Amino acid sequence: MTQPPDRADRALTGEFWSSIDRGVLLRPVCTRCARSFFTPQVVCPHCGCEQWSYEPSEGRGTIYSFTVVHRPPDPPFAAPYVLAIVDMTEGWSLLTWIVDCPPSEVQVGMAVQVRFVPGPDGALLPAFAPCPTAEGAAEAAA
Amino acid sequence: MSGSGSRRHPLARVAVAGVAATRQARSLDGNSVQICLEAARAALDDAGLSLDDVDGISARWPGPGGTVFHPGSVDWSALLGKGFDWVGDTYPQGAPGLLDAAGAILAGQCSTVLVFGGRAGESGVGASGGQAVASYTRPDNEFTACWGSLTAAQFALVAQVYVHRFAPDPERMALVPATIRNAGSANPAAVMYGRGPYRPADVLASPPVAEPFRLLDLCLATEGAAAMVVTSLERARDCPSAPVVVLGGGSEWYRQQYVDPPRYDDVARVGSGAYRRSFGMAGLAPEDVDVFELYDINTFEVIRQFETLGFCAEGEGVDYLAEAGIGLDGRHPTNTDGGLLAYSHVGWGGPTLKIVEAVRQIRGTAGPSQVPGTEVALVTGAGSGAQYHNAVLLGSDR
Repeated sequence: MTQPPDRADRALTGEFWSSIDRGVLLRPVCTRCARSFFTPQVVCPHCGCEQWSYEPSEGRGTIYSFTVVHRPPDPPFAAPYVLAIVDMTEGWSLLTWIVDCPPSEVQVGMAVQVRFVPGPDGALLPAFAPCPTAEGAAEAAA
Repeated sequence: MSGSGSRRHPLARVAVAGVAATRQARSLDGNSVQICLEAARAALDDAGLSLDDVDGISARWPGPGGTVFHPGSVDWSALLGKGFDWVGDTYPQGAPGLLDAAGAILAGQCSTVLVFGGRAGESGVGASGGQAVASYTRPDNEFTACWGSLTAAQFALVAQVYVHRFAPDPERMALVPATIRNAGSANPAAVMYGRGPYRPADVLASPPVAEPFRLLDLCLATEGAAAMVVTSLERARDCPSAPVVVLGGGSEWYRQQYVDPPRYDDVARVGSGAYRRSFGMAGLAPEDVDVFELYDINTFEVIRQFETLGFCAEGEGVDYLAEAGIGLDGRHPTNTDGGLLAYSHVGWGGPTLKIVEAVRQIRGTAGPSQVPGTEVALVTGAGSGAQYHNAVLLGSDR
């Protein structure tokens, strides 16, 4: 049995993961229709074009749905943690964690921004944290 | 039956001639091959047939031993000492397993198919001393596994939107699993036999697993096996047990499970097309179903399926079911054996358990869980969190 490739060496998604290692969130963007998609596919699922490239994401979105997990499937995951589907401003979405927020305060529709956190194996993952509110930002500036 | 033989869909020329379920338990001694074989032999006995009568097989090889070649069902040939004219690795079993076998028979590829699956000796004990999560409940995908997702969480992501939008009454919602669990508590074959009675308050007091689901909202992960013998109705009529006719059925695959996360707006009605086709073939309406053996992997899925069947509007399922009743004496008797919540759930072979119960209900041999006069049963599999769904309608040969 050959070992599975390190995530940065994976054929279709290596660039995504190696960029995460540098703290940059990328998204596949179609060269022809200019739309974003996720998960990465060999051709654009919107228009079938084979030409697409990874482009930086602004890293902002809203929570479409979430669940607070109290019983993790494996010991490395420390419960409770918040799994969520985040809809990105660029029209794509992903499964992720909501961090830096008490689970009881997470809400559907909440505005969030990317925050790179170590996963159970120590490698960085693109999690999301609530965007600072206008009030909170003003306080921080004061 | 309202439909005469001549008006039936060609699928109704196929019948289930024999069914069997082994003992089901949290963990069983032995291995998966042994328990599968036990179920297969018992189903043949039930059909009054022998292995010599079987020329088709649908039973993914569960190991130990065997090869990595496909189709895995061929691995049974060495153990059983016979070849086959048709093999199918249908995933999952239950409705799709039955429909694939029926298709092979109608296409003249074989005449009698043995469908079976299950597991034993695989439920490890976790490092914490508790039961380890069954491997099939841990999605393995690079954009899913890294987040510590699990089957219950994937379904929770769908259910949470439903709860957010429609704010169903928690007590009334908890009545659904409490009722199904009470059916299991009364079924001597159920893993959770004698554990009831359950009230909605018990469900709401159980520990949260993945919100909005609590422990008693979620299905078991147990061991055991189930099997069925599928053949032509003509041949089944010569078997000792009353044949159960395949009136209609269908599958619907929206996306691969556990890759892209399930979105409520995409998957809330998954299965509606499969239902429409199934009832269309049968010439029946959902109101004609006497017994519902639905895929109750969690509370929300039961509610979602009744809404998708069209019994009530989206968001009204909790109130509708509280009023209609899903117990043995309700308008819609559901998961009469205790379902995946309280009877047993044995992975990809588990959905066949629902066929076993539906067949017994139609034969009138379901014992204490019998719903008198059952002529039509609906069996479903999978659900919104897995992004696919399937259904089969079974009926008496009358």
